[in-house]
Amino acid sequence: MDRLNRDAIIAIVLLVFCGVFFWATFDIRQPDYGVLMPSTWPRAILGILSFLSVIYLVQSLRQGADETELEDTACEPGIRGWVLYWRNPLWCFGLFFVYLATLPVLGMLIGGVSFVFVLLNVLGGWDRKNLVLHAAVALLAIGGMWSLFTFGLGVLLPPGMILGQF
Amino acid sequence: MIIENILAAFVELGTIKTFILMMVGVAGGLIAGAIPGFTIAMAVVLTLPFTFGMPAPQGLATMVSVLVGGLSGGLMAGILTGIPGTPSSVATTFDGFPMARRGEPGLALGIGVWSSFSGGIISAILLVTLAPQLARIGLEFNPWDYFMLVMFALTITASLAGENMVKGLIAGAMGLLIRTVGEDEAIGMARFNFGSDTLLQGFDFIAVLIGLFAFSQLLRDVRDPVAARKSLTDKGTIYVRIEHRRAVREVLKRWTIVVRSSLIGVFTGILPGAGGSIANILAYDQAKKASKHPEKFGTGIADGIIAPESSNNAVEGGALIMMMALGIPGDVTTAVMLGALLIHDVIPSPTFIAEEPLIAYSIFISFFLATFMMLGLQSFMLRVFVLVTRIRMYVLAGVILGFCGIGVFAINNIEFDIWTLVWFGILGFLMRHFGFPLAPMILGVVLGNIAELNLARAMAITTDISPFFTRPWSLFFFTIAIFSAVFPLFQGHRGKKKWTLFYLPVACFAVSVPLYMMGGVTRPILATIVLAYGAYTLWRRAQGGWQLEAVKRHDLVEE
Repeated sequence: MDRLNRDAIIAIVLLVFCGVFFWATFDIRQPDYGVLMPSTWPRAILGILSFLSVIYLVQSLRQGADETELEDTACEPGIRGWVLYWRNPLWCFGLFFVYLATLPVLGMLIGGVSFVFVLLNVLGGWDRKNLVLHAAVALLAIGGMWSLFTFGLGVLLPPGMILGQF
Repeated sequence: MIIENILAAFVELGTIKTFILMMVGVAGGLIAGAIPGFTIAMAVVLTLPFTFGMPAPQGLATMVSVLVGGLSGGLMAGILTGIPGTPSSVATTFDGFPMARRGEPGLALGIGVWSSFSGGIISAILLVTLAPQLARIGLEFNPWDYFMLVMFALTITASLAGENMVKGLIAGAMGLLIRTVGEDEAIGMARFNFGSDTLLQGFDFIAVLIGLFAFSQLLRDVRDPVAARKSLTDKGTIYVRIEHRRAVREVLKRWTIVVRSSLIGVFTGILPGAGGSIANILAYDQAKKASKHPEKFGTGIADGIIAPESSNNAVEGGALIMMMALGIPGDVTTAVMLGALLIHDVIPSPTFIAEEPLIAYSIFISFFLATFMMLGLQSFMLRVFVLVTRIRMYVLAGVILGFCGIGVFAINNIEFDIWTLVWFGILGFLMRHFGFPLAPMILGVVLGNIAELNLARAMAITTDISPFFTRPWSLFFFTIAIFSAVFPLFQGHRGKKKWTLFYLPVACFAVSVPLYMMGGVTRPILATIVLAYGAYTLWRRAQGGWQLEAVKRHDLVEE
């Protein structure tokens, strides 16, 4: 997909986004007091955003397909190529979501160490030398930070169901 | 009188215990500022309980030390990892990180340290000598002026986007919109919460910032599996030495940038709500605009580090003055300082400096001393911190992602902030990929509530919108916002279109109008000078037959 189409699509997505949010401003309760209604400011912003999105759309339609993103050319066509190209960020997001989803069970210490350990292995490789190094890094970095916050600064980090029993 | 107060404050602070506390505070601030997710505000808040048992000057000196250390600590993370340790060092990353990546992290850090020191010292001198006069400017501001100031700040950051001005403005508007989620500032009505109680509190700014900047940057850094397994400097375990002598020379060569940026910092700090997060971008923008080679900004040049670092250290001085003189915090950190004063039964007001000179001048002097301590300690701390450049990118990224989770959670102790982090990480990643600048968005998020609150206040006073364009300060900010917005167009057409010959004279004429309207003696004189300069420029161009030769000479210099 060339830049022309991509920018135009982004502009259209922005316009749809503005429409949805503008619609949502009608759900904002209007009190009987105050001069500036709670919906006025968001509507003003959305009005400006919509106007800018229209300009962006016009610009992208006029621009033509002369500025194809070079980075994207390294990406092989098809879903497989796209996934391969973006695999590291996708792993990061995926693992972070798992870390967050398991936070109530694993807590911040076990969950954090596990997240960093798995992520480091995914990004750096699973060979034996790396496993030891990554385990040490995850344990020291997250364990150290957790200790600093918990014992040094008195922040109550989520213990999770496992550590919460002790 | 001033000398007496300064001496009294020196005597009060001149104990070994206070010095040790200040040293610990600066060191702690440096570490806190350097860790993304561990903000200065958080460090100052966490210091607060430790100061309960101390005398007010000592406790405040400790907190000021943390603040000064934190302001400078941000540059370490910004330059070495590309992730600003604090919002105040966002612009430092624009050139600091590319310079470090180019293989000169020692020079980049040295320039950052000495710029911070210079900015801090200039700010401290200005505060001690000109504090009451500087504070008077802020006293003149009304809601219309504040609102226009925010609009001005947004157009400036959008103009930073250069050719992507529209994308910059879209990003700024998105930032403002993000800030509207949750209860509104004026009367507390729910907005855009879509039935969710969690969304009622809105998005935490720090979580949004870390998500947009840190998360997205880390993901970009590890995108390429091969590059991700290399160290930050791409040279494995290179030896990094802070090049102090070279850095001092570079900073001294650009003393005009140091002075201008420090003045921007102090002035921005005086304006309530406009803190280091604005000052560093504003100073960077002005340095870029004043440069003969603006196109080199963002590639790793010294000017791009000096400007933000001088300004962000200078900004807190101004913010402290505003807080002490009026009881209005300049930013989050000074809001915490205000809390500290209240704990010690000191209520900041316009008479605070006169009634509590010992405490007031203790704050000034501790700011001054902490800046010197920062210089000495940062040199040491940087030696430790530069070790991160030897670590492979994926290790650094993985560990920082883990840190971000803990740091973000610790802000409010709620899990929702981590979700905010990840969602805004995705948004930031997409925005970077599609070429949208993040700085205007960040600024929109920071200033959104300030803009709305002041708009509400202005509307509560009168529903007439004319004061936005007739009040002197309002008109002043509106005028420079317009010319700032047009500046990228001017730069693009300079030397090609005749209308660009009129840009500077017209800007001078326009700016002189609100300056005249402000009245008094100094400002009309200043307005006359500006007006005369505009007229002189116009006359010279008329004498030259409206030729574009001056601009052509500039082009030749660039070539």
